[in-house]
Amino acid sequence: MSEVELQLCLALPTPNITKGFKFNLNNYHGFDHLKQMSCSGDKTSRVIKKRDFEHAFGNFSDDCNALPLLLWSGQPNEEDDNHNDRKKTTFVTDDMNDVEVDQVVGWPPIKSWRNRTCHHHHHHHHKRALGNGRSIYVKVKMEGVPIARKIDMRHYHSYQQLTNSLITMFTKNEKCDGDYNARYTLTYQDKEGDWLVAGDIPWHGFIRTVQRLKILSNWG
Amino acid sequence: MQKKRAYSFPDEVLEHVFSFIQSDKDRNAVSVVCKSWYEIERWCRRKVFIGNCYAVSPKMVIKRFPEVRSIELKGKPHFADFNLVPDGWGGYVLPWIGEMAGAYPWLEEIRLKRMVVTDESLELIAKSFKNFKVLVLFSCEGFSTDGLAAIAAGCKNLSELDLRESEVDDLSGHWLTHFPETCTSLVSLNISCLGSDEVSFSALERLVGRCPNLRSLRLNRAVSLDKIANILCLAPQLVDFGTGNYTTELRPDVLSNLTAAFSSCKELKSLSGFWDVVPAYLPALYSVCSRLTSLNLSYATIHSPEIIKLVSHCSSLQCLLVLDYIEDSGLEALASSCKDLQELRVFPSDPFGVEPNVSLTEKGLVSVSLGCPKLQSVLYFCRRMTNAALVTIAQNCPNFTHFRLCIIEPKTADYMTLEPLDVGFGAIVEHCKDLRRLSLSGLLTDRVFEYIGTYAKKLEMLSVAFAGDSDLGLHHVLSGCESLRKLEIRDCPFGDKALLANAAKLETMRSLWMSSCTVSFGACKLLGQKMHRLNVEVIDETEPPCSRPKSCPVDKLYVYRSISGPRSDMPPFVWTMDEEGTILH
Repeated sequence: MSEVELQLCLALPTPNITKGFKFNLNNYHGFDHLKQMSCSGDKTSRVIKKRDFEHAFGNFSDDCNALPLLLWSGQPNEEDDNHNDRKKTTFVTDDMNDVEVDQVVGWPPIKSWRNRTCHHHHHHHHKRALGNGRSIYVKVKMEGVPIARKIDMRHYHSYQQLTNSLITMFTKNEKCDGDYNARYTLTYQDKEGDWLVAGDIPWHGFIRTVQRLKILSNWG
Repeated sequence: MQKKRAYSFPDEVLEHVFSFIQSDKDRNAVSVVCKSWYEIERWCRRKVFIGNCYAVSPKMVIKRFPEVRSIELKGKPHFADFNLVPDGWGGYVLPWIGEMAGAYPWLEEIRLKRMVVTDESLELIAKSFKNFKVLVLFSCEGFSTDGLAAIAAGCKNLSELDLRESEVDDLSGHWLTHFPETCTSLVSLNISCLGSDEVSFSALERLVGRCPNLRSLRLNRAVSLDKIANILCLAPQLVDFGTGNYTTELRPDVLSNLTAAFSSCKELKSLSGFWDVVPAYLPALYSVCSRLTSLNLSYATIHSPEIIKLVSHCSSLQCLLVLDYIEDSGLEALASSCKDLQELRVFPSDPFGVEPNVSLTEKGLVSVSLGCPKLQSVLYFCRRMTNAALVTIAQNCPNFTHFRLCIIEPKTADYMTLEPLDVGFGAIVEHCKDLRRLSLSGLLTDRVFEYIGTYAKKLEMLSVAFAGDSDLGLHHVLSGCESLRKLEIRDCPFGDKALLANAAKLETMRSLWMSSCTVSFGACKLLGQKMHRLNVEVIDETEPPCSRPKSCPVDKLYVYRSISGPRSDMPPFVWTMDEEGTILH
């Protein structure tokens, strides 16, 4: 369909920014969209930003036995301190107020209380033995980000895969200018209620015991 | 010769005439006839509806309408229901209560939707309004049962307390004991949203027993099935009843008591609740089913055969809310049993599952559209749809006023032809000339918006997600939909052009929400600068939008018309653009 010339009532001072945001209808994935939306059309800065974030999470080897911690030492920088301060005052990240989402926030459009009341019986299934192949939903929170995500541990087979996915999920929240260094630790709460650093135990043991995940930032 | 003025009635006569005019639209029309009618009307307006609490200030309302007895206020945008509006955004009722406490000592009714209500507000209500009668808190939050205790204790003439779908900090069930023994005026009590496991059941029973005018009672989940028979025997005059948990151990006396209790309720027309249903107890309802006009089974995890059994007794049913466990077969049964059906809502039992867990498809909705000629309002969650089905549905039901279809996976095409669903929704807007509310889903191009702009002339509210190709889509809607009041959009490639080209349209609407679209910060600034009667608010939780290039798209945008200027209670993550182009915070 050819683009019709729109009569503009107000002059647009900015250049045309609609290019670069066309949806690829065949490959819809909620997070691809979120990644695109998080910055200007400059492809380079987007790539740099993503790479930095990968550095933040370190590299896991696929070997279950040698599991490094999720740490990366980068250079702190002034802007980051301000960023952190603002984060501290801005949101109340009280667990009680956490928003549980699956993949895309607020979709399907169902009121959250309806989920809570209706899917009570589903929750019982989640806690059962792993053998029956049912999903294992685990809440993931990143420090400083009010919206939590919910992931199905069944989708992952290694720490590497898990962290790659988490990178994708939380990339949206990083600054656009690509100049972002951070130290992050992936922690989890086990069956006993204790919070531990992820990576200590083999993957299969991990998914049997993990109850929730939390990504902590280690500011100096 | 003296000219005889045909309209020189005494004010009291005009006031008396105006008292028969209840609708806001008509009252507004009356008030613009001439200055004296404006004056008379404003002094005798008793009921005010404010669709956006930030569109006007409490002082302005009080100044114009000094003798109000009933007020309705709405706060957060609709998408707050789906967690798209961050906590702390706003919608606080306290400033309103504070002003009204002084100005409206005779206020009787307060109805709130999506507002933040605190215990302090509730205490202030209880203290300030001597003749307070009706409190409806629809999807509100921020208060606890302590606030409710204050209302119970302080409002001597309370007739309605309705907490539907609110989030209440449930500290204890003892707030019910704060209703004094002298309170006999309750007509409606809805506590279905309360979570606590202990409800002061004896207090509830005594309250119900001493209120002979009680017509509507909706209990919460904490009340178990074996207690319901007692309650119903105390209030056989009930018209609307919400059960608590519809489960208990299987004991023969429970079923017979329940059956007897239900059959004694000769006025019962509406049922809801039904958490954790044990199907063996459903037959207790059969005696009332034929009189039921409204049935809410949307928490009942019963399956198609049981639903069919129940529904086939309900020949007078007008409104059904149900989970997709009803399946296509159940909807077919509904279509043949319930010829008076006007409203149907089908909710997903497993919304986040990837594979369908039930056999509910487009066929179910087609059956209902064929069998129920009075069908006007539909909310339908499903996993697949075709253009052909939508066209059939549109042709069968030209009387639709509300049509909301949610195909669970975004951008799902017509599963048979693999085409977008433009033509199907186009048929809906073309055939249903009275359509007031529409929600779209599935794979949709700019074409569907062209249809909407062309045909949906009575459309007042449109919800759009993951649809469209370009600004043209948004332009079609803003330029074509003459009656549009609320537009909410998420995850669509709509940007600056359509918005700025149709800026004037936004002043004719209540509000516009756009999130995860491609509207730039620069455009928002321009809009805020040029349009003085619009509040342009940008929501961004990660960092200030001005720290990025102007061409960067904003995360969330909420634009609404207002005569009271930018609000003063914005949290740190909301920015608004004022006339000078500065960004207020």
